[in-house]
Amino acid sequence: MQIIDNLKIKEKLYIEKLENGLTVMIVPKAKMQKKYMIWGTNYGSNDNKFIAPGEEEITEVPKGVAHFLEHKMFEQENGTNSLDTLTALGVNANAYTTNDHTAYLFECTDNFYEAMDELMDYVQHPYFTDENVEKEKGIIGQEIRMYDDYPEWRVYLNAMEAMYHSNPIKIDITGTIESISKIDKDILYKCYNTFYHPSNMAMVIVGDFKPEEMLEEVKKRLIKKEPCGEIKRIYEEEPEEIVKEKIEQKLEVSEPLYTIGIKDKIITNKKELVKKDLCIGILLNLILGRSSNLYKKLYQEGIIYGQPSLDYEFGNTYSHILITGQSSNPEKVYEEFIKQVEEFKEKGINEEDFNRIKKMIYGSYAREYNDVQDIARMFLSDYFKGICSFDYLEEIEGININSINQMLKDVFKRDKMVLSIVKN
Amino acid sequence: MDCKEQEIKEGIKLHIIKTDKFKTNLMAVFLTTKLTRENVTKNALISMLLRRGSKNMKTQEEISKNMEEMYGAIFDCGLDKTGDNQVLKFYVESINDNYLPEHKENILEESARNLLEIVFNPYIENEGFKEEYVEQEKQNVKHRIEGKIDNKARYANERCVEEMFKDEPFGLYKFGYIEDLKELDGKELYKYYKELINTCKIDIFISGDLKEDDENLIINDENIKKLKERKPEYEKPKLPEENKEKEENIITESMEVTQGKLVLGLDVNIKNDEQKYIVLLYNSILGGSANSKLFQNVREKAHLAYVASSSYLRYKNVIFINSGIEISNYEKALKLIREQIEEMKEGKFSEQDIEDSKKGIVSAIKTIYDEQDTAIMYYFGQELSGSNVSVEDYIKKMENIKKEEILDIAKNVKINTIYFLKD
Repeated sequence: MQIIDNLKIKEKLYIEKLENGLTVMIVPKAKMQKKYMIWGTNYGSNDNKFIAPGEEEITEVPKGVAHFLEHKMFEQENGTNSLDTLTALGVNANAYTTNDHTAYLFECTDNFYEAMDELMDYVQHPYFTDENVEKEKGIIGQEIRMYDDYPEWRVYLNAMEAMYHSNPIKIDITGTIESISKIDKDILYKCYNTFYHPSNMAMVIVGDFKPEEMLEEVKKRLIKKEPCGEIKRIYEEEPEEIVKEKIEQKLEVSEPLYTIGIKDKIITNKKELVKKDLCIGILLNLILGRSSNLYKKLYQEGIIYGQPSLDYEFGNTYSHILITGQSSNPEKVYEEFIKQVEEFKEKGINEEDFNRIKKMIYGSYAREYNDVQDIARMFLSDYFKGICSFDYLEEIEGININSINQMLKDVFKRDKMVLSIVKN
Repeated sequence: MDCKEQEIKEGIKLHIIKTDKFKTNLMAVFLTTKLTRENVTKNALISMLLRRGSKNMKTQEEISKNMEEMYGAIFDCGLDKTGDNQVLKFYVESINDNYLPEHKENILEESARNLLEIVFNPYIENEGFKEEYVEQEKQNVKHRIEGKIDNKARYANERCVEEMFKDEPFGLYKFGYIEDLKELDGKELYKYYKELINTCKIDIFISGDLKEDDENLIINDENIKKLKERKPEYEKPKLPEENKEKEENIITESMEVTQGKLVLGLDVNIKNDEQKYIVLLYNSILGGSANSKLFQNVREKAHLAYVASSSYLRYKNVIFINSGIEISNYEKALKLIREQIEEMKEGKFSEQDIEDSKKGIVSAIKTIYDEQDTAIMYYFGQELSGSNVSVEDYIKKMENIKKEEILDIAKNVKINTIYFLKD
């Protein structure tokens, strides 16, 4: 196995790509009782149109299939449900779907290998029937309704709607009640067979283990699969322009919720991803972090009550900044934000502030290594983006104020900004 | 990993948890006081005001800059309702020196000094909190109070609590009441603050890869030395009074929702504290996991919900059942939930169910030491209830529970309140 040793945070990553194409990552955590295993496929709600390996024709599936598939993977041919089996072992099992990946996981203290048997068995053995697919529509229907009542989810999706013309990032991960009604077992099998090949998957295991031994345990449980060709994912061309600057929805909330979005160009050079992510993190904190002038001003004027969340999201086909919070006057927050950005562009960033925020960002990555779950999820989701999580700790030192000032000009463009509001 | 306790003065306790599992050191100050209608809003306001500035860090900006400079130490505060107490919580989490890119000796020391100063040495002008801060934080508290409608599921749960504990402290909203805000000013609040600091129970936690004498950072701190000893006024958890025969309280309210939120509040009648372990197990079988009766029957078999679960509130000895359903399915879902409670009374759960639930609980207990804040909350819970149960004993108690004992609990469970939020 390849060993990547990080001397700053004093953790090691053991990584190996197996013959069948599966990438296995192991982070040993001595002394921890908690153990975590996660197995993901590079397949999420964005992958609705594709050409399966060995085929010529395009397959297009209803919205929400990746998430539906996640729910149905637990069903077993012998009538049992793997979630029940895992729960009965006393482990905490779950699964989730994002835009670009789906993951199956458990956390435990005891019965790790029994749980590993079950997890690896069910992910490799789908069992869909007309009946079990139909029944899930009721449950997922309620999950969709639950999200309908979350204003923070609405304000997020609307921001996507305002930024993207055709990129599937703007569709709900769960799909809609209408779109999931069209899902049947054949569609599920088709997507499973296309995307759940080991070469499209990665696994992370974190806990008090010997990595080489653990790798053998993984190999033992893998069923043989023929190598498969490339999956062609089809995304419609996305213009660089936004769709519209402002979008509003009515919902019963105490104060309006807002998301300021900035649509950004997609980076194709993976090496630049980490640097860009770090730079944007630093910039967002300089503009609207707790110690920023703008935060102080908006707080004192009673326009905001707490620090907005500051995020940069990116994948192979999308890239954007999101600033989300609650405010009595979102328009004003937006206006002041734009003003501050322009002022920084003109005058440049203050060096002392930059150095301080840079230190703070180092700390925010360092504390990610406290918990086995955070470590496992971080390595998996970064892996699907083509990133090794350790790179954040290594790259930050080299970030200088010039690159920050340049990034501000390149990314924080006035004509790429949108404002999404949810209010009464 | 043990927790070493040291009484600094009467009513002021230091809890030291030495552990090298984490990249961070975590320090916490908890101020515990009785939850009362009179003081609930003041306490909420005080907890917000203290974040605004201290004697030596006069503004929020200065506090933030100090924290950022320490490799992004995180200063955070919270407000909890723990049984019939209100707990004002203040934290600083900072990176341990071993994991910094350059060696810096004093981060823990600085974190301790800053945290204690924020809590015990606030920024004061003319014998009071700065009026400008007071006005802003009043708005902030008002915003929190009004904001309880924003998360509909949590709101439904909060409303069920309010109804169930109508005339009791626990029915109070932890951020208080808008009508109380108007009359409060900086002087009066400062007067109240001094009273609070002189009478509340104070617990200070320090967790991390500590050196031998690191506790002195707290004990020898100027702000700690100034504190007086006290006989703290707080409530220990009480056993419930014998369940009186009372009718179920059924409440339906309307709001703009697409999904109905159904919450049931259950009373559990127990005779002693030891039985709380059994209630925990009972709750797990009823609705605490994916194998539970609620999850299996309401979600998996009837497909009525995505969320169908229950949780046990140990301090008040009540169980809440939560679910999100199609509004038109109210009767159907309620009937099904009632059936699960009845089946528990009839003993319709297997030895296997018990074993599986025990495994889940034991596993969760074992992870207490693997999460810095969870360990602190575990010891604080023990401190408040005046018990001293090690994790090992906890596990033993759990493993020894028999089916008859669970059945005995099941028979003493009664629906108190049914709350439904619809459109």
